[in-house]
Amino acid sequence: MSMSEEMMGDMLEKYPEKVLKNRKKHITIVDTSQACQQIEANTRTIPGIITQRGCAYAGCKGVVVGPIKDMVHIVHGPVGCSYYAWGTRRNKARADENTPADKVVSTLCVTTDMQESDIVFGGEKKLARMIDEVVEAFHPRAISICATCPVGLIGDDIGAVAKAAQDRHGIQVLSFNCEGYKGVSQSAGHHIANNNLMEHVIGTGPDRDPNDRYVINILGEYNIGGDGWEMERILGDIGYKVNCVLTGDTSILEIKNLHQAHLNLVQCHRSINYIAEMMETKYGTPWLKVNFIGVEATKKTLREMALCFGDEALIQKTEEIIAREEARIMPVIEHYRKICQGKTAFAFVGGSRSHHYMHLLRDLGMEVVVAGYEFAHRDDYEGRQVIPSIKIDADSKNIPELHLTPDAEKFQEAHVHLNMSKEKFDELNKQVPLSYYEGMQPDMKDGEVMIDDCNHHELERMVRTLRPDLVFAGVRDKYFVQKLGVPGKQMHSYDYSGPYAGFNGAMNFARDITNAMTTPAWKLVTAPWEKQNQQ
Amino acid sequence: MTNKPANSTLRVKEVNENQCHMCMPLGGVIAFKGIEGAMVLVHGSQGCSTYMRLANVEHFHEPVDIASSSLNEKQTILGGEKNLNKALDNVLRVYQPTMLGILTTCLAETMGEDMDRMIRAYLQEHPNLGVEIISVATPSYRGTHSEGFWATTRAIIAHYARVCESHNRINVIIPNISPADIREIKRIMGLFGVEYTLIPDFSMTLDRPYGGRYQKIPTGGTSPADVSRMPGAPVTIQFGLTCPDALSPGLYLEQQFGVRLINLPIPIGVDNVDQFIAALSHICGKPVPEQLTLERGWLLDGMADAHKYNAEGRPAIYGEPEMVYALTGVCIENGAEPVVIASGSPHSKLKDLVRPMVSDLAEQPFLIEEADFASIEHAAVSAGATIGVGHSGGKFLTERHGIPVTRVGYPIHDRIGGQRIFSAGYAGTLAFLDRFTNTLLEQKYGSYREKKKDEMALNRVM
Repeated sequence: MSMSEEMMGDMLEKYPEKVLKNRKKHITIVDTSQACQQIEANTRTIPGIITQRGCAYAGCKGVVVGPIKDMVHIVHGPVGCSYYAWGTRRNKARADENTPADKVVSTLCVTTDMQESDIVFGGEKKLARMIDEVVEAFHPRAISICATCPVGLIGDDIGAVAKAAQDRHGIQVLSFNCEGYKGVSQSAGHHIANNNLMEHVIGTGPDRDPNDRYVINILGEYNIGGDGWEMERILGDIGYKVNCVLTGDTSILEIKNLHQAHLNLVQCHRSINYIAEMMETKYGTPWLKVNFIGVEATKKTLREMALCFGDEALIQKTEEIIAREEARIMPVIEHYRKICQGKTAFAFVGGSRSHHYMHLLRDLGMEVVVAGYEFAHRDDYEGRQVIPSIKIDADSKNIPELHLTPDAEKFQEAHVHLNMSKEKFDELNKQVPLSYYEGMQPDMKDGEVMIDDCNHHELERMVRTLRPDLVFAGVRDKYFVQKLGVPGKQMHSYDYSGPYAGFNGAMNFARDITNAMTTPAWKLVTAPWEKQNQQ
Repeated sequence: MTNKPANSTLRVKEVNENQCHMCMPLGGVIAFKGIEGAMVLVHGSQGCSTYMRLANVEHFHEPVDIASSSLNEKQTILGGEKNLNKALDNVLRVYQPTMLGILTTCLAETMGEDMDRMIRAYLQEHPNLGVEIISVATPSYRGTHSEGFWATTRAIIAHYARVCESHNRINVIIPNISPADIREIKRIMGLFGVEYTLIPDFSMTLDRPYGGRYQKIPTGGTSPADVSRMPGAPVTIQFGLTCPDALSPGLYLEQQFGVRLINLPIPIGVDNVDQFIAALSHICGKPVPEQLTLERGWLLDGMADAHKYNAEGRPAIYGEPEMVYALTGVCIENGAEPVVIASGSPHSKLKDLVRPMVSDLAEQPFLIEEADFASIEHAAVSAGATIGVGHSGGKFLTERHGIPVTRVGYPIHDRIGGQRIFSAGYAGTLAFLDRFTNTLLEQKYGSYREKKKDEMALNRVM
């Protein structure tokens, strides 16, 4: 069943007039006959609506900065916020040749635990003392300070504290003014984190080894459930050198060397497109939007990557690996496809993931009929071509933009990075959409719904009317969806499963969602004596 | 055996590393969810409500709706009244609650929001709303989730309580215990046939059976009509020995309305349950029901059976002060003398209450207030703890040091069924004890051969 204008009217009629008008702009029923359907996004949440959105701190500490494994992340503020971002989102990390086990400190949850007197008299001195303690106890390679709401209000200068600590201890101390009230969602925090890493970390490592070939970064991959490791496995087999996965299982050392890559891959567009873009400006590094979620999507991504380097051997090796992996996994996928075929799902996750999962679900014969994001911008829905037409409002202006220029020494034209002629690069650009993301809309069919900042009321109404077979959302929405008789899958941490990326991930995912939809519990809801009464 | 002084606090560092407590409004949410027809709104940036939903949903595995006034940068300068009003408009319209609880955040309190004035103005502008609005100041620089729970429960009572005629319905005030334990306390009172008002009763709102039509605000919870009549009760039983006086709901009823307060520990452990049963029997003037005598017998039988295993246990107990107090009692009762007793809260009466309980122990435990897991871990390892008892934050004891943890309390985020953990009453105590003993046994059998092998190898070398 697809959504009609009438159904949407019913869903919104409970709102006061102004709210109704506002929310309507955030919902698009896809009509492919129309040239461009505009959706409103990245604007303020209506107060009092049970939004799925989080705050700037969540986007900065919880998403981008928190997973960096060899840093101690100090949360400067009263006690709650640090607990909530402890363990972030199951971003897996392990010791490796660059980072021995005693340097992996990101599992620590460290807070200044501000008390009332700190709020009144300021918390700078306490913060400085705590940095000293942390350095003494853990000898980390670097430290981050993330500010929570009151810090900005009382005017603690965490930048100055960080600078002084950096001079005192000789290690990098990064400060993030990611107070929760900034911006309209997590998105503000992503941007703040991107800016800081770009300004102070990226490019401070040594230059690229001229003998290295096919060096890539995977930006916006957070290694939830080991997704990044599965990507690295496949890419390693093909012959790529994965320089850095930002920020899943990564270290500050690797981030310093980010400029060594020939090509940046962007997995989560929303949270990391700033770095991709800024690196293109500063170093000339081209970037490619990729999708490792889904068998067909992974194949497409691998083929586009190979084209980027234009090397016949690489193209051939890519086909070999695809054939090898498919032979191994397709019988399993086929088995699950028989069960999943024809079923429908809703997806509300990530800053590209609702789009990514459309591909994997289609591999399994399923269709995403309602898709949305908590914190996306219009370009994540409609494609980057709309960026020039996006209205800049006061909330976006509050997040500073870095104005970068090409680096005098390290900048190279994109075709030089890819080791090809300008002509060949222009040719490539026609085949592969470099520095571009088309958004989710082109992959959606008539009658399917694109919804921004979906709230509890709307989700409930849509589940009741459209009766999907599965809902992908955060854990907050999982249990009420299940109360409505529809299995919910927690897609922020994968319900402690994964990986779901790449070829192995597709098998895991197919197994997990089949289990969710076919669990015998759903058939046992009605007691036998109640069944007799009903007959 | 070393004799350490019982007050050795290991929290020498200022930095809080791996915290053992959470923020004040989080506890307030749970208390509000125990009131019939209630909805909760958090006045602050929306991350607060989203995070609190997350923490509660992962513990209860139930929908936990919390609205937010979604304060942005602009409101930090101009004040949050407009946002609060919009939030009230929307949440009241969509949820139609009969009670709306508002919890403030660090942000709102640092801004200095005058909640009472704003709510008064809103109600004046919207007469006949049919909703009671209760606001509680809960900036987490002033207290932990435990204090948030007490402050909110007290505020709810203070809001509804009215002088009324005396009646026979006793008041029962609970701390943050599991819905399963609330149900057990209610069953026990049912066996006595005593009428009661239990607050906050989230046994049905945060642990709903499957089936029936899903409602945004689940049925269940303490009825406001009953709360308003709490001042006419003959007595208040409050499971809140560690509760600070300024936040104590039972003390409020005693001081304002002269309702006698019987402050008891959470009924976990023979002695603690005995106190509750004796109080009930005395209040009702009835003998202890046969069923409870049987249950006490089963518990004692179980304790006798398990004593040889439990006496080997060296527990590190941590969590919310009230739960830690009760668990300390049950461990000592079973010969498992605690080596660490810790709570993240700096504000409770825990230390003073626990000290006399442990003064006779052969080995003095570490008592840590304002604990973080760095200090708990350090104490547990140096004291040779063999088992952790507390919430899921203690998983590091297992991961890093192989010390298993019997999960009990709040929050449980790494196991399923936090809301069903059953530990109250004689029956619940026995269930807890079996989990505790079996955790020790699993460890024993799991490492038995390894240990023996090591011992024999060592002997041969010597």
